Amino acid sequence: MSRLSPVEEPVQATGIVKRYGQRTVLDRVSLTVHPGITGLVGPNGAGKSTLVKAILGLVRLAEGDVRVFGLDPRREPHAVRRNVGVVPEDECSVPGLSGVEMVRYAAQLSGIPGIESLRRAHEVLDWCDAGQERYRPVETLSVGMKQKISFAAAIVHDPRMVILDEPTNGLDPIERRAMLGRLTTLARDHGKTILVSTHVLPDVQSICERVIVLADGRVRLTGSIRELTQPTIPEERLEVIGPVDELVRRLIARGIPARRARPLELFPSAAGADGRSSATVETVTPGDGAHEGVVLLQLTAPDALATMWSEVHQLGIRVRSLKASSRPFEEVFLEALQAAQASPTESLHAAP
Amino acid sequence: MPLHDVGYRPWQGRRSGSLAAILVIASTGIKLAWTSRWLRRAVFFAWSPALVFAGSFFVFEQAIDEGRLGSIQDRALVGRNVDGVGILGRVIAESLGQSDAPPPGQHETPEEETYRTRRAVWSRLMLAFMRSPQAILLAIVVGLVAPALVSRDLRAKAWLIYFTRPVGKFEYVTGKLLILGLLVASITMLPALALWLAGVAVSPSIWVAVTTWDLPVRIIVASLALAIPTVFMALAYSSLTAESRIASFAWFATWAACWIAHASLTTADVMQREHEEILMSENAQSADPSNAADGGFSGEDAPGRPSRSNVRPMGPGGDIGEKLSDLLEGRRPRNGPPFNVRQFRWISRATGIDDTIDRWAWISPYHSLGVIQAWVFGIERRWQAIFPPLLSLGLVSIVSALVLWWRVDAPARV
Repeated sequence: MSRLSPVEEPVQATGIVKRYGQRTVLDRVSLTVHPGITGLVGPNGAGKSTLVKAILGLVRLAEGDVRVFGLDPRREPHAVRRNVGVVPEDECSVPGLSGVEMVRYAAQLSGIPGIESLRRAHEVLDWCDAGQERYRPVETLSVGMKQKISFAAAIVHDPRMVILDEPTNGLDPIERRAMLGRLTTLARDHGKTILVSTHVLPDVQSICERVIVLADGRVRLTGSIRELTQPTIPEERLEVIGPVDELVRRLIARGIPARRARPLELFPSAAGADGRSSATVETVTPGDGAHEGVVLLQLTAPDALATMWSEVHQLGIRVRSLKASSRPFEEVFLEALQAAQASPTESLHAAP
Repeated sequence: MPLHDVGYRPWQGRRSGSLAAILVIASTGIKLAWTSRWLRRAVFFAWSPALVFAGSFFVFEQAIDEGRLGSIQDRALVGRNVDGVGILGRVIAESLGQSDAPPPGQHETPEEETYRTRRAVWSRLMLAFMRSPQAILLAIVVGLVAPALVSRDLRAKAWLIYFTRPVGKFEYVTGKLLILGLLVASITMLPALALWLAGVAVSPSIWVAVTTWDLPVRIIVASLALAIPTVFMALAYSSLTAESRIASFAWFATWAACWIAHASLTTADVMQREHEEILMSENAQSADPSNAADGGFSGEDAPGRPSRSNVRPMGPGGDIGEKLSDLLEGRRPRNGPPFNVRQFRWISRATGIDDTIDRWAWISPYHSLGVIQAWVFGIERRWQAIFPPLLSLGLVSIVSALVLWWRVDAPARV
């Protein structure tokens, strides 16, 4: 009989402090990991790995309390780890084992008995698209394949929560997309809690529902991605093909606040560390002489939408999409880090 | 996508517990270790000495069956080889020569005599088997397997696989100990038990199994005594480095260095003793010049009883005289092993024939283990001989276990 509480949050940390000698790695960290996909981001040395170790009960905390599904990982590490799967960032293997033997070994160590562990290992490897490579010794596999094996080993025992450290490391774009898809499937279709520690911020923005930003051992930012990336002033994002600048001019003339999107707002990943664009982004599409671009506008007035459609129609503009605008998460992240540097002891923002 | 891809499915089966995790770690470790060709050869070779010893059992039991025990004993008393199977004949002979005879005046039936001599011979043969070939093979096999067991996990970061799953230090360490324990058992305990079964099979009656019922128990205990310190020490070395080569070197260097240290100190003792004997001999000659001509056979062991125990003759002639006297009287020098044993000091120590107290045994794992095994087989009973090796091995085991416990999850804590 499982003693795990079904109503408890997957992870609840309260004021945890971890020191290595004189160095404080986690400084009064309090956070909650909710069901769904949560991103754990932060610069190197922020304390992410130590937080994961605390969740698994591998380190002794100086202060504070961690609960995983209502259990104390230090007191009941086996019960906790039976319900958690971990994909570590470092390559790890048992030398001499093939891919499928490795996943089977992980299944057996997690309590899946006998031949069932082999069946389950093959099933999960099939789902991870491991192919025939599974029969080769792990140490001879490519980085991407090792990542798949590691992921398969983490989920083979059907844990309630999966913790992944840089899960898309070494994956090509197609595999990366497939991996993110698998994580989404696990969370959406199977109710798993996923905690992803990564530096790839677009990955966080694309799959995570919530995010926790750690810096210098403190939680600097936490909340849902939707809330954190919401602009201060609600804007709509209109992607069009046609005379963009003329449209902006006409909308402003009709009393609708509008502006053409800056390159950074279109391509967040092109931003440098200072938040400015480091790339030249041209939005002109020659050919029929039409311009392609994005207009950010505030449709707050009651008739603003009708006015906008009217102008678009008059100018013969083709609309590709219209959706609520959001700030790139990278911008939010960098703001959080800048605020952390300016005020080391304060959290920038703590959305629910 | 594979044709049989059924997607991700939950798993709701019954999970096994910690014991299963230990067995999985052990079985996987043995499977990986067994891929080494050298290990397979070593384990195969470890069984071959059992054939030679089985021959000795056969010869001895045949002699009993044919009623030749008396003649064997007579020959044993004069220190002669009894069966033509080389040095094992000496083991049998010395066992018969040393077996506890009944007090003078107490009558002993032939059955009692057979029972007594059989137990003495079988115990010594078992001890000889476990000490001479098996203990050395054990050091080799453990040296082949153990260094990689933990160090390779540290190097390949396999600890991340173990300690992020419901596997604690206890399960991990126990699993690793079990790998070595099973290998050690396969080269010490199992061949010895097979040897006992062979001895029973070649004996005149199946009742021999009843009269020697305690030997299998002693074999198991002796194997455990052999396995516990060696396995802990080997794994402790392995846990101290991520390079298995360094752990291997440390393992073999420990055995070799301790053996050399023991040999040096023991030799120094022997030289000192011989020097003292020479001085005593010279003193005796100067005190009684009439004895100088006959090679110095004048030492008194006890009132009215001549002895050569403390008086060693000078020169080859004197040595022959001493040997002849030993042969005629069937006695051994009081403070040293019999003369024929001196030629085979190593095997005589291994079999417990040399009953001088090895005061440096605690320095060397091999010699300490020998003393403890002799104690287990009931051959060594003196506490002054047993205690130092017991203490030494106990300390080695405890310190090694603590090091192992501290080191195995060290990377996970930082």
